[in-house]
Amino acid sequence: MNVMDLVLFISAVALLWSRSLRLGIALLALEGVLLSIMAWTSQPLTWDSALMALATLTIKAGLIPTVLARMMNSWPIEVRRDHPLPLWAYATALVVVLGTGHIMQLLGPVHLIQNRPAFFYSLSTIYLGMVMVVARRHLLSQITALVSIENGLVVLGISLSDSLPTFVELGILADLMIAVALLVWMGRRIHREFQTTDVVALQALKG
Amino acid sequence: MSYDWILIGPLLVVLAASVVRRHLGSRWSMWIAGWVAAVFIATTGIAFHGLLLGNWQAVFIATTGFIALTSAWDSVYWLREHPHISPHRYYLWWGLFWAALLAISLSQNLALSWLALEFSTLASGALIIEMGDRHSLEAAWKYIVIASVGLVLGLIGIVFIYASLRFQGLSWSTLDYGNLRAQYANIAPVVRQLATIFIVSGFGTKAGLVPFHTWLPDAHSEAPSPVSGLLSGILLGLSLFTVAQFVGAAPVPSGALLTGSHLLTIFGTISLVVGSLALLVQHDIKRLLAYSSIEQVGIMAVALGVGTRAALFAALLQFVFHAVIKSSLFYGAGHLSVTYGTKRLDGINDLISKSKAGSFGWALGMLALAGLPPLGLAYSEWLIIEQLWIQHSYVVVFLTSGALTLTFAALVHHLLRTLWGDGQPVLRSRSSGHEASVQGAI
Repeated sequence: MNVMDLVLFISAVALLWSRSLRLGIALLALEGVLLSIMAWTSQPLTWDSALMALATLTIKAGLIPTVLARMMNSWPIEVRRDHPLPLWAYATALVVVLGTGHIMQLLGPVHLIQNRPAFFYSLSTIYLGMVMVVARRHLLSQITALVSIENGLVVLGISLSDSLPTFVELGILADLMIAVALLVWMGRRIHREFQTTDVVALQALKG
Repeated sequence: MSYDWILIGPLLVVLAASVVRRHLGSRWSMWIAGWVAAVFIATTGIAFHGLLLGNWQAVFIATTGFIALTSAWDSVYWLREHPHISPHRYYLWWGLFWAALLAISLSQNLALSWLALEFSTLASGALIIEMGDRHSLEAAWKYIVIASVGLVLGLIGIVFIYASLRFQGLSWSTLDYGNLRAQYANIAPVVRQLATIFIVSGFGTKAGLVPFHTWLPDAHSEAPSPVSGLLSGILLGLSLFTVAQFVGAAPVPSGALLTGSHLLTIFGTISLVVGSLALLVQHDIKRLLAYSSIEQVGIMAVALGVGTRAALFAALLQFVFHAVIKSSLFYGAGHLSVTYGTKRLDGINDLISKSKAGSFGWALGMLALAGLPPLGLAYSEWLIIEQLWIQHSYVVVFLTSGALTLTFAALVHHLLRTLWGDGQPVLRSRSSGHEASVQGAI
């Protein structure tokens, strides 16, 4: 199990670091497969866990990467790469990962965490996703970051309590699906209206 | 008493918008507004006893119902002024947004509140996109991304709380506020403290508390005006009261460095000060109202931070008065910007010679928002300051009084300019948004 958590963390680091959107989408699909396996194996198999695993596989490993890839392929080749990551983002990423260690120290004495490596990897994944939202400039990178953050949340739930209630997990999944659909739709329109995929162009509203 | 049946109200609107589709015209808008009125009357009748007792849920449901009613009627006129908007898609998202707001009002469970808040972001974000111009795209993108990231923070806190009480085996009912109140002693203080920080920051993003507010002025000013009324009047307050419900249900030990009350007071005071200062330099009529919302949420947060029975009552009053006043002003601002062909405040002037009734309504709303006695907000704001004084929070009293004075001055200044200001040339720059320019083009 911890190998999968480690792969999730490495994929979050690679998502933040890589400028290639194609690689980013592939990593999201990989995370989707990993989460689906975790949903099967983290608890005794029930109808609920099977439903979650299937829904995760369909939406996170299939639907979302496909929609993102189609959006990317509709754009010219020159906008299929993100801008270089600013230097401050590397430093911030390091600080937030160290911050995760501090939270683990705080929670250590109360025995809340069931799986410490999984907790570290998942909370770090969430934080790295947040750094990515702020530091990455491509529209598609921001969508990728949101999905990665949500993936980290699911593993955080597993690391603390085996799983979240099915009702909540399904709600989060539905929410993610609608959010990605809206953002993809907006991403297409922004590219059409602004002739760019750079979020820095979105700064007409100020003050 | 269970009020869950009122969700039939918005769901029928969604159904009508889905089935009727292209034939959904002006007459249908009237039918929908009539239906919303019927739902409001039925709900208020049933919740009346709870309203008299000051029951939070009854107040939330009745206020949400009333503002939805006014928003639905304003939508009838607003859609006539904006023929480029598809009524079918507008009412589809509007119905979903109303459903999400009612779900937050009805929710007695932290996880359910979170889900409803997240869905409210998506539904209202889609309504902003419906405006169909560059500004609305920019505003909606920032809104959905920032609010979603903020709510993730809140969810981390919720997961901590759920994990602490997983031994109960109650599944998602673990997060019922009643269960949290009964079981909070079983959650380690450090977990409660961490969860409180995450939840106040996360849900505070949705409530528009400074420094998590950056999406708010853009989203509220670029949304269709009937939606701005719901966003500002209802959603901000409901998000804040969700935080207060959690803070009240699972309190952090009072000796801790940062309790929920401390955080609400700190973020509330900063919001109050920043919001009132920003009012002085606004050039756009809807951004002016949006920054006023930040200031108003700030004072509600301060009252919730005080946490006494009287302060909570004052916060609830503030929520109700603000909802009614601010939504009316947003509707008015929408129509004014169409009439004048601009959203810029320097282009909206000499209102008194154009419409006596309109200028009276606008002046009444602005003075009420500014806190002029005996209008409602003056009373609730006085109660809040009185509670702060009783609790010996003199620094907060000083900052709150200063900010409220500044707010009064800024709003009266803008009011006088719109009523009697001379007609300066309108600069059709970035803030002459689409909502304003459509009618001018027609």
